[in-house]
Amino acid sequence: MPKVTIDGHEIEVSQGTTIMQATKQLAIEVPYYCWHPGLSVAGNCRMCLVDVEGPPKPQIACYTQVTEGMVVHTQSEKAKKARKGTLEFLLSNHPLDCPVCDQAGECDLQNFYMDHGQYDSRFDEQKHKKKKAQPVGENVMLDQERCVLCSRCVRFCDEITGTGELGIVNRGSHEEITVFPGKEVNNAYSGNVVDICPVGALTDRDFRFKCRVWYLSSQDSVCPGCSQGCNIRIDSNLSRPQHGEGERVMRLKPRENLNVNDYWMCDEGRYNYNFIDRNRIQTASRVKEGVVEEILFEDAVDSLASVLGDAVREQRHGRIGVLVSTQLTNEDLFFVKKFFKTNLGMDAVESRFSFPEGSSDDFLIKADKSPNTAGAQALEVIASGTYQSGEDLIDKTIAGEFDVLISFGVDIDGLLGKEKLDAILEKVTLLAYVGSNHNETSKKAQLVIPSTVYAEKDGTFTNVHGRVQRIWPAFPPLGQARPEWQIICDLSEKTGFSVSADDAESIFSEITQTVSSFQGLSYEKLGKEGSLLSTVKETVEK
Amino acid sequence: MEIPEELKKKWDEAVARYEEKRAALLPVLRLSQDHFGYISAEVEEAVAHYMGTTPVHIREVVTFYELFHTKPVGKNNIQFCHTLACNLNGCEPLIKQLKEKIGIKEGETSSDGKYSFSRAECLGACEMAPMMKINKDIYGPLDKDKLNEIIENL
Repeated sequence: MPKVTIDGHEIEVSQGTTIMQATKQLAIEVPYYCWHPGLSVAGNCRMCLVDVEGPPKPQIACYTQVTEGMVVHTQSEKAKKARKGTLEFLLSNHPLDCPVCDQAGECDLQNFYMDHGQYDSRFDEQKHKKKKAQPVGENVMLDQERCVLCSRCVRFCDEITGTGELGIVNRGSHEEITVFPGKEVNNAYSGNVVDICPVGALTDRDFRFKCRVWYLSSQDSVCPGCSQGCNIRIDSNLSRPQHGEGERVMRLKPRENLNVNDYWMCDEGRYNYNFIDRNRIQTASRVKEGVVEEILFEDAVDSLASVLGDAVREQRHGRIGVLVSTQLTNEDLFFVKKFFKTNLGMDAVESRFSFPEGSSDDFLIKADKSPNTAGAQALEVIASGTYQSGEDLIDKTIAGEFDVLISFGVDIDGLLGKEKLDAILEKVTLLAYVGSNHNETSKKAQLVIPSTVYAEKDGTFTNVHGRVQRIWPAFPPLGQARPEWQIICDLSEKTGFSVSADDAESIFSEITQTVSSFQGLSYEKLGKEGSLLSTVKETVEK
Repeated sequence: MEIPEELKKKWDEAVARYEEKRAALLPVLRLSQDHFGYISAEVEEAVAHYMGTTPVHIREVVTFYELFHTKPVGKNNIQFCHTLACNLNGCEPLIKQLKEKIGIKEGETSSDGKYSFSRAECLGACEMAPMMKINKDIYGPLDKDKLNEIIENL
């Protein structure tokens, strides 16, 4: 295995390692535009030129393989001069419209100019005019003047989606990125070309002019859009509420996890964030004499607790049904099960639904559109006795088996239609809805308790391959909303049972001690990339 | 667009000469241009379908080479060299004379479709400077009278 010395640090690397990969291992920063770890090597931007002892000219780090005894300097005068020259060429036709460019603040032309440029312009010629603000698809806006022709977006569409919508036409300084006339970048992963564009040439039409990137705060999370559980980053704006009309989430971005989603995420997941700030249930409410009235959170919990307490005392708890959504975290699910099944002794607690399947492909998009179906299975949040599924439990409610139905985030109307919901309401004395967003079920439920969305929660999801992954709260809950596990703690306290926890982590630790498939896991062990359930053998996850 | 069988057959012959299908793209495009006179968007799409790629990747190649036309060109496509040797030997007055004679500007095609005219970078016939190329034939060294005679005989 060849040894290489880079800036005085010696490192042994495997055969075929490029200088770029070796610098990454040594945490030495070499600037680049066209190189991307998830794509083939193009070697066209010339920004990663480094000084290799021996050859008279600087070499590109992304393509040059390390050989035994190679000595590389990334900070020598020769290397610096080469990078400066490259940058001068890349910027020669650039429009310098940073004040109106979305990329400003996270632009590698700006960043590298500050690190490696800092020259006075020698460019007296007329700049080439190219097309600006040209929509090239539902989600992507193209500005040809800002492009440095790194070809990352072209390679993404060729190598990752295989759809080949983008190309570089013409020659020399007239070269430009374009789509074929009448065609669009309309693949299911189009938003990724914006992420990998190192400059402001491709911007996101959804995010465009919404917020300056330096006002954003970022929190790592996991996409709740399907059972794949792609790793994401939630970018929110709390400091400038006037931008985006007070909405907190400005955009979602994929986060690297080679076990789950590489560097990518689908458009369906990327643009599925409006529910976090819109149409939220912010206060508890009840229906009194046909009129919805807002009540205190505590009163709503009291009211539900007394119904449960009475039922248990009078041995009627068999006439209570609980529907649980697999949008809930493992911690929420575990506490729901512990309280209703273990403590109250109920059978009918059910999370299995045959949801109408959504679109899917053989890459990241899964037909099961909830993030924690595998978690609910592993935790066995399923009814005992004769109940087959959530739908079965609903049919039995309509047949008169239950007096009380509590739904944790299951929109009965959305799932099975208005007729079933109305039939339930005719049979039960109480339909309680614990959830984050308004829907037809929450509007008709006699008691509503607000709960948090994933972006406000600490906890874990288990993806379709059995990988347990952390989510973290990006910001505090809206209104009175609380996580489901806390609502369970409140209910438990009022009914005299001891289901309690200080935080999600302590619940997770209880799960690892009581559920064998979670054995040996901890939040620390999950880290940023998650861990597989012990019952899952290492398999190809993607 | 429906590609005529005779052209399709020529494409197949071109592809058969290479180990990789992609390698035959330039010959396939040249055959297409010989057949249609220029490469339209429809031809690009047909070629893309035939080569198993997307149309924008065909356009990348078509727009890279000056020799491919994306618009119809005149029956006589005149390319006048204006690089060093031709320039030193006085191509500019001849270009002016040519433009006046055929009545079109650079990059244009005459309305009767008889002439197209464009300037060209070095065509590799410096010993004939100043020179021009009409379709596949080259003419030079030119002077005022020779140029007139050639154009009139077209």
